[in-house]
Amino acid sequence: MLTKKLQPVQSFLSLVSRSVGHFPRQHYDVIVVGGGHAGTEAAAAAARLGAETLLITQKIHTIGALSCNPSLGGVGKGHLVREVDALDGLCGRAGDWAGISFSILNRRKGPAVWGPRAQLDRQRYREFMQSELLSTPRLTVMEGSVEELLVTDPNPEQPGQHRVNGICLANSSHPISASSVVLTTGTFLSGSLFIGQTTSPGGRIGDAPSSAGLSHTLRERLGLKVGRLRTGTPPRIVKDSVDLSLATLNPPDSSPTPFSFMNTHTRCRPEEQLPCYLTYTTPGVERVVRESLHLNCHIQQDAKGPRYCPSIESRVLRFPGRRHQVWLEPEGLTSDLLYPQGLSMTMPPDVQLRLIREIPPLHKAEIHMPGYGVQYDFVCPTQLSPSLQVKSTQGLFLAGQINGTTGYEEAAAQGLWAGVNAGRRALSKPPVALSRTESYIGVLIDDLVSRGVTEPYRMFTSRAEFRTSLRPDNADLRLTLKGFELGCVSSSRHQKAVRVKNSLQDALAALQALSLSTTSWKRKIPDVHVSEANSNMLSGIEMLQYKDVSFQVLASIFPEVLLPFMEFSQRLKIEAVYRPHCESNKREIQRIQEEENMSLPEDIDYLSLPVSLSQEVREVLHRARPSTLGAATRLEGITPAAVVNLFNYVGLNKHNSGCQGERKRRRTLEKTKTRLR
Amino acid sequence: MFRPSSIHRGVCRAVIRGLWTNRRTSLHRLLSTYGGVQGGLADADTIFALSSGYGRCGVAVVRVSGPASATALRSMAGHRLPPPRTALLRSITDPLSGEMLDRGLVLWFPAPHSFTGEDSVEFHIHGGPAVITAVLQALGSVPGTRPAEAGEFTRRAFQAGKLDLTEVEGLGDLIHAETEAQRRQALRQMSGELGHIYRDWSHKLKRCLAHIEAFIDFSEDELIEDGVLDQADRSVCDLQSQIEQHLRDERRGERLRSGVHVVIAGATNAGKSSLLNTLCQRPAAIVSPIAGTTRDIVETAVDIGGFPVLLSDTAGLRESADLVEQEGVRRARERVQQADLTLLVVDSTCLPSDVQRAAGFLSEHLRSVSPSQKQPATDMCLLVLNKSDLLPETQRQKLKMELRGVSGLPAVCLLSCQTNEGLKDFLTVLQSSVKTLCGDPLAGAPTLTQARHRAHLQQCVAALSQFQRYRDSDLALAAEGVRLALTSLGRITGRVGAEEILDIIFKDFCIGK
Repeated sequence: MLTKKLQPVQSFLSLVSRSVGHFPRQHYDVIVVGGGHAGTEAAAAAARLGAETLLITQKIHTIGALSCNPSLGGVGKGHLVREVDALDGLCGRAGDWAGISFSILNRRKGPAVWGPRAQLDRQRYREFMQSELLSTPRLTVMEGSVEELLVTDPNPEQPGQHRVNGICLANSSHPISASSVVLTTGTFLSGSLFIGQTTSPGGRIGDAPSSAGLSHTLRERLGLKVGRLRTGTPPRIVKDSVDLSLATLNPPDSSPTPFSFMNTHTRCRPEEQLPCYLTYTTPGVERVVRESLHLNCHIQQDAKGPRYCPSIESRVLRFPGRRHQVWLEPEGLTSDLLYPQGLSMTMPPDVQLRLIREIPPLHKAEIHMPGYGVQYDFVCPTQLSPSLQVKSTQGLFLAGQINGTTGYEEAAAQGLWAGVNAGRRALSKPPVALSRTESYIGVLIDDLVSRGVTEPYRMFTSRAEFRTSLRPDNADLRLTLKGFELGCVSSSRHQKAVRVKNSLQDALAALQALSLSTTSWKRKIPDVHVSEANSNMLSGIEMLQYKDVSFQVLASIFPEVLLPFMEFSQRLKIEAVYRPHCESNKREIQRIQEEENMSLPEDIDYLSLPVSLSQEVREVLHRARPSTLGAATRLEGITPAAVVNLFNYVGLNKHNSGCQGERKRRRTLEKTKTRLR
Repeated sequence: MFRPSSIHRGVCRAVIRGLWTNRRTSLHRLLSTYGGVQGGLADADTIFALSSGYGRCGVAVVRVSGPASATALRSMAGHRLPPPRTALLRSITDPLSGEMLDRGLVLWFPAPHSFTGEDSVEFHIHGGPAVITAVLQALGSVPGTRPAEAGEFTRRAFQAGKLDLTEVEGLGDLIHAETEAQRRQALRQMSGELGHIYRDWSHKLKRCLAHIEAFIDFSEDELIEDGVLDQADRSVCDLQSQIEQHLRDERRGERLRSGVHVVIAGATNAGKSSLLNTLCQRPAAIVSPIAGTTRDIVETAVDIGGFPVLLSDTAGLRESADLVEQEGVRRARERVQQADLTLLVVDSTCLPSDVQRAAGFLSEHLRSVSPSQKQPATDMCLLVLNKSDLLPETQRQKLKMELRGVSGLPAVCLLSCQTNEGLKDFLTVLQSSVKTLCGDPLAGAPTLTQARHRAHLQQCVAALSQFQRYRDSDLALAAEGVRLALTSLGRITGRVGAEEILDIIFKDFCIGK
């Protein structure tokens, strides 16, 4: 499958010219503004769905640029990459194409928290993204800067106070209309760059700032609440000037594991991989930070930065007297730069040089480009519905850093989901949501829209309640079939997922059928300590739950039954171990899903709703406007009584609108129960 | 008002064996902001609760609803299910020990023809708290059952379409009232020593989880020492043994199960054995005018106001040359030290005739009961002035006036075992003392609350052993154990959200990536 993607770059230039050379049409189903990690996934997803899509970016050349660290995945983030891939998104395959150093983090901590991760070659990542987008049917890519959103009165049959039905480009008098517009402007919304005491407008160094018109429209015309966040990036360092012998070598996995379910190997061969290096800060680093605080206006601002990706300044200020890790990461196979992970800084360039030279391997280092800070506006994401559409504005979708998140993977995940929903809207289909019980994407979006953010939001595995069920290994089973129904998954991927699903089911059934007494098992596998207390029969699945029993061992004992499933040996082992825990999660998951399925109408007026609710509860609901009963129950200050009354209201409403689903469900339930007895 | 407890011993054993088995913890407790009524829309748990009103009553109704109802009924009231919706008189037994708990009516309502629309069972049993507690605990030992949340029966009924929508209007208010009461009760309990203990556990467990989560989410990139996990190991171990310990010697619950120990003590010939016989309404102890008749301890189980009480009559306290009597006195003093409540019997004819000196005399007397030790706290003792019939009426009135609410002195009751005069007042005082000692299981339903606490603590301990089981093989599953433990504990102390864990992580570690 990868081989198909091994020649995309050839037709690359001609495609660029095709896209830009043609004057755009006057109407598209979906317009995506921004070509970063969210924008690329959004445009590709909408196009996969069948929507005629236009991607507008300042420079086609920067599509797929990695603005910050040259890596993808990790703990929690790797889960997101696997899920985006399971929904046929781009970043997993791009990672396999561009990766130059693969490792599974947390290898010793259990498969539910394994973190697939890769260092990337920046050039290759861009190449892949650009060629992929430029060859996607129904997708047009265009360079330009969006000046304005076209805002009109809402469609009265749908909730919302406004409708966005297109955009205006700078330097163009022709508006382009669209059913859905997806904004993925990243840090460009009223972005400012900081180095030392210098401030300049912009979202990324080297790129023009985005138009003030856009941010004005969001705030003034649409009345959206925005907040301000900050982030930063470290200086890039000239590789030759670094004494790597003074740092600790950290080799990648000897056998790279691809991100994508569609790939069996990565483009980079195992022996071609490049290592990372680990070093530490010294007391000198802390001294330089303290001495230069007065020259550093970014650190003095009160916009909120992330606690988990802090600049070196905030690290030494918050945890003084400690040494901090610095990772020296390759930027590409042929790149002559190194990326010092952990040294994000905003002091003046000469001070940056002084600082890095306090670190032994960097004592003679040269800076290729200084680090800098960015402050930017984000739209408070509680104003979004789980489809990532702005609740008050029909047809406007937001994804990525504009929603207050940080990280490529978080952006890609939202981009994909916004693209799916933007496409669905254009095709007159109802919005869809992913549940937090079935995916990290669901956790991410639910956290954003129901709780909002106070600092840049990053995914951690500890945010997922059902972590043992939402594993990187089973993202395809969780999402690919669903994605195919939604139209965002190709049939080849779907077929593969179906085959995997059936094979796993068959294999588990075969394992279950292997039922032997404890003594027989002991005779067959003498090294394993099967507890004598368990005098019952043990199935193959139960045996597989023992730490030292691998699928290979069982297959060697029962070759005729199990050998056909050898390609799934690792997945089967994981399934067997996690199965009992997932089973015990199931009831809970089902309950939450039912609550999530009970949607609360978007246009409901909580302040005057003829339901017994206290004034405080009304105000909480009015402010938060939860989209489902499930989201309502998670709000601070919602009482059980209020939930019952809302439940009642939803039931009543369904009944009135002629939807008998709920009743039918109850009746079915009763019937099933009677039958079972 | 009181009667010898025939079921006492059965209750006792049944309850001790009535372990709360294998109940599933639900993780949404972590998610939900409210504590009252989530059982779950798709909940297949079988729930049970005392459905009749709280307070002492002749008949109590315990309701069970859910798929395990039939199992519960079969295992507690005979293997054949009664015909649907027909009341039958059955012996109700403990499913594990087979001890009889009570005889009462049972009714079987197969789904969908029941209040909740699910399989349901009703037990109509005697209204004493000991019986109710025993039956509830026995139900808890049936696999798949758990105590119901406030309003949960009604809510299930609503969800099954069993309630008219107009009826539902009232449901919200009902739940509000119930959860409000529950909240107040939780607050009451949480302000005490118990609350302090639970909060401390919860705090330790939170840190523990935060450190494990930090290790999972960040250790590959960050400086998070392996020592963090060792510390978590120790904390989990400590907590587990602390909670287990707590579950073992929860004295108040113990009293309710095995009875309050009430000891009758006093000088010879004060009328201790007469009091015993009066209380148990039978000649359990030999009564004679000869001082020193009772030489060993005479025990009898009685039911006082519905609570099981183990009543002990002891030898009169006096110096004696008789070796047997000396041993009797030693045993008597030992009993007083171990007692939950001491009834100190005084011959009122021995009181000084000047009533103003009576209080002084009594406290002196109180000290003489246990000269070596501190005298019993006033709330662990009642002063019974017996033989009041031998005092002139005016003297009695004066005494009553003089001894009412003297500080430093236990409650005083004037009584005659001969004529039963003053007995009623004495019983009221005695009953309220016993009730306090047992934690009054019916006021605001702490029977349920305690049962629930117990269930949550047991789930917590079980979840912590999941941590131990997977600690070396799979940290994600081990952490899941701690998460579940915290969720269970959170059902008592309040929920703990993911953000709270992240706060601890970022406070304790420098996460730089």
